[in-house]
Amino acid sequence: MAGNFWQSSHYQQWILDKQDLVRERQLDLQILSEEEYQKIGIFFSNFIQILGEQLKLKQQVIATATVYFKRFYARNSLKCIDPLLLSPTCVFLASKVEEFGVISNSRLITTCQTVLKNKLNYAYTQEFPYRTNHILECEFYLLENLDCCLIVFQPYRPLLQLVQDIGQHEDQLLALAWRVVNDSLRTDLSLLYPPYQIAIGCLQIACVIMQKDLKSWFAELNVDIDKIQEISRYIINLFELWKSYDEKKDIQGLLNKMPKPKLQPTR
Amino acid sequence: MQKYEKLDKIGEGTYGTVFKAKNRETLEIVALKRVRLDDDDEGVPSSALREICLLKELKHKNIVRLYDVLHSDKKLVLVFEHCDQDLKKYFDSLNGEIDPNVVKSFMFQLLRGLAFCHSHNVLHRDLKPQNLLINKNGELKLADFGLARAFGIPVKCYSAEVVTLWYRPPDVLFGAKLYTTSIDMWSAGCIFAELANAGRPLFPGSDVDDQLKRIFKLLGTPTDETWPNMTTLPDFKPMPMYQPNMTLVQVVPKSTTKMRDLLQRLLVCNPSHRISAEQAMSHIYFADINLLPK
Repeated sequence: MAGNFWQSSHYQQWILDKQDLVRERQLDLQILSEEEYQKIGIFFSNFIQILGEQLKLKQQVIATATVYFKRFYARNSLKCIDPLLLSPTCVFLASKVEEFGVISNSRLITTCQTVLKNKLNYAYTQEFPYRTNHILECEFYLLENLDCCLIVFQPYRPLLQLVQDIGQHEDQLLALAWRVVNDSLRTDLSLLYPPYQIAIGCLQIACVIMQKDLKSWFAELNVDIDKIQEISRYIINLFELWKSYDEKKDIQGLLNKMPKPKLQPTR
Repeated sequence: MQKYEKLDKIGEGTYGTVFKAKNRETLEIVALKRVRLDDDDEGVPSSALREICLLKELKHKNIVRLYDVLHSDKKLVLVFEHCDQDLKKYFDSLNGEIDPNVVKSFMFQLLRGLAFCHSHNVLHRDLKPQNLLINKNGELKLADFGLARAFGIPVKCYSAEVVTLWYRPPDVLFGAKLYTTSIDMWSAGCIFAELANAGRPLFPGSDVDDQLKRIFKLLGTPTDETWPNMTTLPDFKPMPMYQPNMTLVQVVPKSTTKMRDLLQRLLVCNPSHRISAEQAMSHIYFADINLLPK
């Protein structure tokens, strides 16, 4: 479905307004500060990323899963569905939509269990509590809340085109900008800006890091420079946050504080 | 689900039963497609997801509309725009006679729907009269996108065995794994001839072999010159060298010259030489198109 972003459900339904986003989060932000909310978001984006890597999914699928996750909580409080359940459900749905093929549910659950035990044991001391039936039920709620808008445009493809336009032999720049795009998934950017703008913002950050002067090339792009600056700001803020934050130390406290569903799963 | 009153069963789709139903508030008639969730491991089937996400992006007057997706207990129900009948049922009601203006109008709408899909990088892959819906206003709509897919993401092998045999192009019959919009154009050609013949299928083959023979008997067996890469296809096998001994006018007796010219550009064995939907729409056959409902 590439090439028709302006007519897509992504553009027409899912580019949200910053004010709108803050309003929708009101309930959660009575309990958590904005920064704490973001840290929780980062933690679960990482969970999705690790899950995807363990399942050998392409970055595109992982990115789509992350956007589903973001879209769901853009319209719902964290207490509607435990993000620990929603994360693997997003991965499950995205892998089907992106035609990666179906991940068997038992493999998904096993992977969740190992990831929690081996990589995220600083956050969760208990075992992964959910089973197949929870994922399948959650998939319904996810579909409904996404209003069935499943095709998500990502900054990766426009990024490739942009770097190609800069010239040959820009592999280093591409690799770095690609990683910045991955980082951008930890922010609200995918809910607020079209992917091609995010790609440009990430490319600009990569140029700054590499001290590469492409000002004249950027000047010729037909884009709203203010938007690009806003996007860069989001990413710089993320980098700043990372500098001063030790997830291993703080996340357990944050997860305890997080609003939760009334019913915890019984097995 | 309370919103709808279930009426008759319409049929069985790729992945579930289809019912006609009435919206209790608006009295609007819709089609409800219940998605079976029989495989406990897969959750919502990929084919249903594919249809949901494509129809969510493809909004066009010649493509059936997906209004809503409901979920109740362990069922998923897709709510579609309702059409009175499909092209197959329409054929059955004809008694062997069809108005040439209807042929032209349906064919044009089919191409317009296809051109829209193709411009959005979506292949239908399973075009056949049962998947073309027709309403009282003479509007034709493409439906059943369960096998459709976006082809935006670069080369991957597309699964073989997707199109109903009768509407399958020779490249797919020879096991081609990388096909393009041309697959739908062949099917459109077969449907065009079937329309012109008031519902007599053009190539009603009984198996792959018979299907290929029927095609080559009419069009001549392709050669290295007309189709250079044919022999490299995975399931290629040498076929008898038929010379085109029948002409299109024998097969489609009521056709005009312009009609046969378009048909000939659709029914080309070599997929890279098949006309596109966009080009076909500007063919001279449609110069006097009158799309007013009859």
